[in-house]
Amino acid sequence: MPIEDYRAAATTISDFLKLLTTTGGLRLKYRITAGEGAADPDGLEAREIYVEIAGPDAGLVTQRNGELLRALEHVAAKMVRLEPEEHDRISFDSGNFKAMRAREMKMAADAAAERVRRSGAPYSFQPMSSRERRMLHLAFRQFDDLETESSGEGLRRFVVVYRKGDKHVPPAAAPSFQRGGRGGRDSRGGGRGPGRRNDRRGGGRGDRRGPGGPRR
Amino acid sequence: MTHDEKLDAAEELMTKIARALVDHPDEVLVEAVEGDEGDDTTVLEMRVAPDDVGKVIGKQGRTVRSMRTILAAVGQGHHLRYELDVVEDEDDENDEEDTDGTTVGGSESTTAG
Repeated sequence: MPIEDYRAAATTISDFLKLLTTTGGLRLKYRITAGEGAADPDGLEAREIYVEIAGPDAGLVTQRNGELLRALEHVAAKMVRLEPEEHDRISFDSGNFKAMRAREMKMAADAAAERVRRSGAPYSFQPMSSRERRMLHLAFRQFDDLETESSGEGLRRFVVVYRKGDKHVPPAAAPSFQRGGRGGRDSRGGGRGPGRRNDRRGGGRGDRRGPGGPRR
Repeated sequence: MTHDEKLDAAEELMTKIARALVDHPDEVLVEAVEGDEGDDTTVLEMRVAPDDVGKVIGKQGRTVRSMRTILAAVGQGHHLRYELDVVEDEDDENDEEDTDGTTVGGSESTTAG
């Protein structure tokens, strides 16, 4: 379903956020932009509705690698009845969190490119969200000698970098993409559910190798 | 805000979010069930129309996980710990969308935290 009516979508999102600030008691301010004004100047996001979050509780939104930011984005996209492949049309951000993540991603891409060229072996990033994987794929387009693909299922899906033509080589386990230092703590609030709730858990630092064997 | 007011607010919040996600908003019911004495966790039991269960859970449990994340943030403000369970009626065991082991209904017994 295309976003045919930005106004209706913006109203739905605004009602959602109002609910969070009134009933939910979260002290947030927000600005919703729809249509051309929402476009990402860096071209990294295909967004058509842009929601900027500020206010005293904005820190909650970006903690744990932006977990709440992604949760709000997802629920908002569902409320607007976007199909999964259309979710990128709605983007939430707070304090330039995503732009900073994009920059980190770019640096990680450059480092990985260097490494694959040097070693010739494929390089696997840590699992990340579909939006972040997309940013990585885009970042690698600048390198003619390398290509990327996503591997793994669901929350464990991650990007693998190959030398061009090497795609038949199984990816080596090298979970070396380290998240930024901000808000990386893993203390959980409420919620239940067996394991795997945090898709960033268990990552190695820097160059540390994973427990071995190709990740599938 | 009294304790009961907090629980009422959490119930209302989850009810309204779920109503905006489903096809049958009138059939959304969220009820807070407090734990035993000394247990600071409150379970919010969410019931929706049988054909809306997949909508509130989402592919690989992503939607219910997102609602839990939102609830956890609200719980931080309340200084309370909330859990969200989507409860399915026994005669409707439709868990096809629940592929990553996220809660569907009362069959699950693990408690995180």
